[in-house]
Amino acid sequence: MQHNVPHEKDEPSEGMKLVASLTSKGDRSSFVKEVMKMLGGENILDCIQCGLCAGSCPTRFAMDYSPMQIIKMMHLGMREKVLSSSTIWVCSTCYTCYTRCPRAINLTTLMMSLRNLAIKENLVDKNGVKPKFHRSFFEIVNKYGRLHEPELFTRILKKSDLRSLFHNAALGWRLWRKGKLQIRAPKIEQSNDLFNILEKTSEEES
Amino acid sequence: MEISEETRIGVFICHCGGNISDTVDVNDVKEVVGSFKQVKVMDTFEYMCSNPGQEMIKKAISEYKLNRVIVASCSPRMHLDTFREAMKSAGINPYLLEMVNIREHCSWVHDDKKKATSKAKALLRGAVERARYLEPLTPNSLKVTKSVLVIGGGIAGIYSSLELADKGYQVYMVERTPSIGGRMAQLSKTFPTFDCSACILTPKMVSVSQHPKIKIFTNAEPIAVKGSPGNYQVNIRIKPRYVDLEKCTACGECAKKCPVRRPSSFEENLIQEKAIYIPFKQAIPNAYTIDKESCLFFTRGVCRICERFCKGDAVDFTQEEKIADLNVGAIIVSTGYNLMDPKLVGQYSFGLHPDIVTSLQFERLMLQGLHKLSTGEVPKKVAFILCVGSRSTATNGVGYCCKIGCMVAIKQALLLDKAVPGAEPWIFYTDVRAHGKGYEGFYAKAREHLTTFIRGRAAEVIPNGNTVIVKTEDTILGEQIEEPFDLVVLSPALIPNTGTKELAEMLGIDLGPDDFFLEVHHKLRGVETKREGIYITGCVQGPKDIRETTMESMATASKVATFLGKGRISVSPEVAFLISGRCNLCGICIDYCPTKAIKKGEKEVVIDSISCVGCGICVPLCPREAIDLKHCTESQLIAQIRGVSEEGKTSPKIIVFLEKMTAYGSADLGGQSRRSYPPEVRVVGVPSTGRLGIKHMLHAFAAGADGVIFIEGDDSLFRGDQLRERVIQLKKDLDKFGIEPLRLQSTTTTLPEYEKIMSLFDSFVERISKIGPLSQEKREELRKYLAGEQYATQCAA
Amino acid sequence: MKYAFYPGCAVHSSSKEYGDSCKAISRVLDVELVEIPDWNCCGAVDAIYSYKPLYSVALDARNLSLAERMGMDIVTLCSACYYTLSRTNKLLREDSGLKNKVEEALSSAGLNYNGGVKVRHFLEVLLSDVGLEKIGEKVKIPLTTLNVASYYGCFLVRPPDLISFDDSEHPTSLDELVEALGASKVEYYGKIRCCGASLGITDEEVMLELSKNILLNARDAGANCMITACPLCHFNLDAKQKDIGLKFDLEIDLPVLHFTQLIGLAFGIEPKELGLHKICVSPKKILPQYVRSVA
Repeated sequence: MQHNVPHEKDEPSEGMKLVASLTSKGDRSSFVKEVMKMLGGENILDCIQCGLCAGSCPTRFAMDYSPMQIIKMMHLGMREKVLSSSTIWVCSTCYTCYTRCPRAINLTTLMMSLRNLAIKENLVDKNGVKPKFHRSFFEIVNKYGRLHEPELFTRILKKSDLRSLFHNAALGWRLWRKGKLQIRAPKIEQSNDLFNILEKTSEEES
Repeated sequence: MEISEETRIGVFICHCGGNISDTVDVNDVKEVVGSFKQVKVMDTFEYMCSNPGQEMIKKAISEYKLNRVIVASCSPRMHLDTFREAMKSAGINPYLLEMVNIREHCSWVHDDKKKATSKAKALLRGAVERARYLEPLTPNSLKVTKSVLVIGGGIAGIYSSLELADKGYQVYMVERTPSIGGRMAQLSKTFPTFDCSACILTPKMVSVSQHPKIKIFTNAEPIAVKGSPGNYQVNIRIKPRYVDLEKCTACGECAKKCPVRRPSSFEENLIQEKAIYIPFKQAIPNAYTIDKESCLFFTRGVCRICERFCKGDAVDFTQEEKIADLNVGAIIVSTGYNLMDPKLVGQYSFGLHPDIVTSLQFERLMLQGLHKLSTGEVPKKVAFILCVGSRSTATNGVGYCCKIGCMVAIKQALLLDKAVPGAEPWIFYTDVRAHGKGYEGFYAKAREHLTTFIRGRAAEVIPNGNTVIVKTEDTILGEQIEEPFDLVVLSPALIPNTGTKELAEMLGIDLGPDDFFLEVHHKLRGVETKREGIYITGCVQGPKDIRETTMESMATASKVATFLGKGRISVSPEVAFLISGRCNLCGICIDYCPTKAIKKGEKEVVIDSISCVGCGICVPLCPREAIDLKHCTESQLIAQIRGVSEEGKTSPKIIVFLEKMTAYGSADLGGQSRRSYPPEVRVVGVPSTGRLGIKHMLHAFAAGADGVIFIEGDDSLFRGDQLRERVIQLKKDLDKFGIEPLRLQSTTTTLPEYEKIMSLFDSFVERISKIGPLSQEKREELRKYLAGEQYATQCAA
Repeated sequence: MKYAFYPGCAVHSSSKEYGDSCKAISRVLDVELVEIPDWNCCGAVDAIYSYKPLYSVALDARNLSLAERMGMDIVTLCSACYYTLSRTNKLLREDSGLKNKVEEALSSAGLNYNGGVKVRHFLEVLLSDVGLEKIGEKVKIPLTTLNVASYYGCFLVRPPDLISFDDSEHPTSLDELVEALGASKVEYYGKIRCCGASLGITDEEVMLELSKNILLNARDAGANCMITACPLCHFNLDAKQKDIGLKFDLEIDLPVLHFTQLIGLAFGIEPKELGLHKICVSPKKILPQYVRSVA
């Protein structure tokens, strides 16, 4: 970076740009308020950033930001960064963080709420598969009333990824040989109930 | 000076050098007030508190044979005593003085001169009405016992005892365990100077034992406390130690022979001791004790080997429990702390591996010879995990910081480094707190000695054969780490010692939200409790280090000496008293009295005027109106309410009852800050808003009030939740009388929160303006009701 | 002892043997499990909840209302279902706004739920209602050669404000069961660490890493067998064991059984009836003493 170089009046210099990249108080408080209205986010401001969640998390190694950092980013109003992190997708909802958190923050439930928000805003995880997983799971259960595992796999698998296709086909073969592959879809009798419940709840969800 | 029988009131209004007279038309007020009945003289002066001002009052008293004096000036919190002195020197009882605050509560907070003047007239009218009913009162002077009970023989109790004993007071020190010394006796070295803890403690213990003015009771606890400030009667239960203190020489032969082993609590269960034991070598009294629960003689009727081998014939199985009755003037509570059980924080696996210990156990290990409890080897790599159960709002922790954890770990890391070549201490912290003198330098020393600091609250401690693994996130590097250690030291939260709740109940003292004893004021009255004559020091008040403890203990000793020093204490005459013939022993007042000053007598209750602090909470609670309060009697109070509510044509009229210490002080502060509010608000000071009941409300509304506010100090004996309960009931009662419950509101406040109460004035005036004044018909109705009421006190017509 | 049985989707597919062995031992212990007619998927913790939370809760409430109709408490074999059903129960109890919306949805399906059902895991029913003593009495073949690593997983012990029949950091229920069956328990690290759950489908690498650590720790601590109490955990540790081996170039070869199968073995029930031949990592080498032939 060159010093003492005349800048154009309206262009912030390099140094100025860095400062401006932190969010404004308005943004901070609006995201915090948004989070505090979500299930699990009620006492998010109670976090003292002790890091016990990050230390306990079994999938932290696969996250770009630790659970503790995600909370910090929420405090700082970094909405985009939070919703585009791998953290919210790779959380296996094991509840270890909530069990141990000294501030009783239900981070696990908050992760589910953030996932819900991300899906609503059409955001995806890095593999591009997570929202599809949730959507497909829902569609299958809504169709039959119960999960049909093979159908879930086929819906999510990328047809272009031959390695993965082969790998899962091998798994399917192993299961079939043990008589554990559910070939027929397990449809419940009162499948109308599913339709009715979906209709009633759809008005609310939007 | 002779006082004539007829009431003769003198009213003196101060200009306060313009501070009052620039806003309030004092001459107009003078004229109006002069027309009130029984006012014999009215005068104004530039500076009433000055000598000429005082002389003027004194002259008027003698010339007009006045027997009541009203001074309208600044807040009584400024000059009440000044004017009372003037009354005394003029030969009049100082309780026949009434002060009216027309500065902080009037001229300084209102801009509209006309309205301010009108309000001043109303306040004066209230004062004049009240003055008619003032009575001469004499403070009680009570002889006090110049002896002190100190509960708890740790460093806090020891310091207070020595200070007081040196000042000449008789001190009784009562210690629950067989020896004094407390936690400090268990510690190795202290931070930040590395003084040997026992070395600085034991000389003090010896001083205590040798001091002619200190009597020590060990193996003892208080079981009952009666009496009043300056004269408490305490029963002490002394458990038998089955060893004669006069004969035991602590030679230890008995313990050598005793067949029973059990974990030593002094050694934090790391080492066994015998059923007959001495907690530590320098114990005072320096004698052995038999633990009844593990002794074979007491459990199975056999053995008695110790008795056989004692050369001094000191073992005495016939010893019995004794009760000692002590008369003391003051009580100091210094019962100290305990460590929270780390098992509550399950992920640290305490109890599942011998090499996971507490910080206190580590202290003992350092003195026993540092070794791993699993293999006996010397541990090199040691983890110190801080904040175990601290700073937690979860169900298995406490909300506060333990204050000493960081410094203890740093100290232990440095000691380990010194004791073990190649040692590797690691400290897992959330926030290093090195707040005291020399502490930051101590922290730096730990870094210089290559203590590894990992920022992150440890997630898990995992037993792994003979090592222990600590798993955590290094939050600064943003990585999970797993490290094996020879020893893991947990720093558990500090909690009040066992029995604190029961002791607090016995003494009638409150515990704070964190279960430690509650001091009256965080900064200004840090060693006093709500009961006069009972003080607290040391960790019973909250976690703190040794320096803070000793400082606090000396402050406590000083406070006790001030309290008892003159041999007599002056007890305010503004106390509750019983009107004979009405009480039917229903007992409601006994339950509600915050200082336990009311007791059951034979035919009626008995009010201890020494313990009574004059809050007045009992008065409206009595269903038979059998209790009244001196200097705020029903007659005086109702007269003042009527006077303030009736006077003037202002609308709406809002009466604000301010508890006379904190709430009144807060309003004064607002006045000093010139924070203006509507002049429709008129203040009446009361000992506590608990003094007020439905009758006073009705009088206010009947006389002209349109709205009422109660404001109580946050730290008052009449607690916020009790105030809320009372106001809810009053609103219900008002509703029954057809008065909108919205016309009553209440809040609590701290001294600096004047903005809060004045905003309340603003919004309340607006609200009442919207609802509109109470109708004349309603006022008539109320007046009729009040006139016909049983036991109605006679008010000035 | 009669209960409304909620098998969960997996027990009818990839964990058939879990259901079969459960039925087999229930017969011996006089526990009657009546399958809830026409039960539906619970929503599997967050699978549907992350996408459509209200629908997910309402759908699961259908199961609770069906059980309530039967007048019995729900017993499930799957820990994830155990958590989800418990959570639905709690949400309906504590959030009156949600309760109203769910009631509306249920009534559109001609159903209603009054909050009267308790949700229980089959393991907890065995320990509390049947008791270890009675189980011990039914043991015909003490499993003395088995060193069993009990894998609890997540939802058998967490979160403690919802699920509390065992300690959330140091649980002992499965280990006590193991000892009651005459086998030896194995202490190892990872008994309550997540196996990866549904990440096996979307983030397989992560799940493989998690399950690998659990299996290796158990094996290195001396286990020759592992038991689970959840079909998804079992799937990750058993069916995917081969994938773990491939990815990390390891030979793990630790048979993973459902805890009901272990009980069945001790009771002397035929391995075929317990579905032992359906386990992917063959338990053959640890069972020859007890069986004549395992497929």
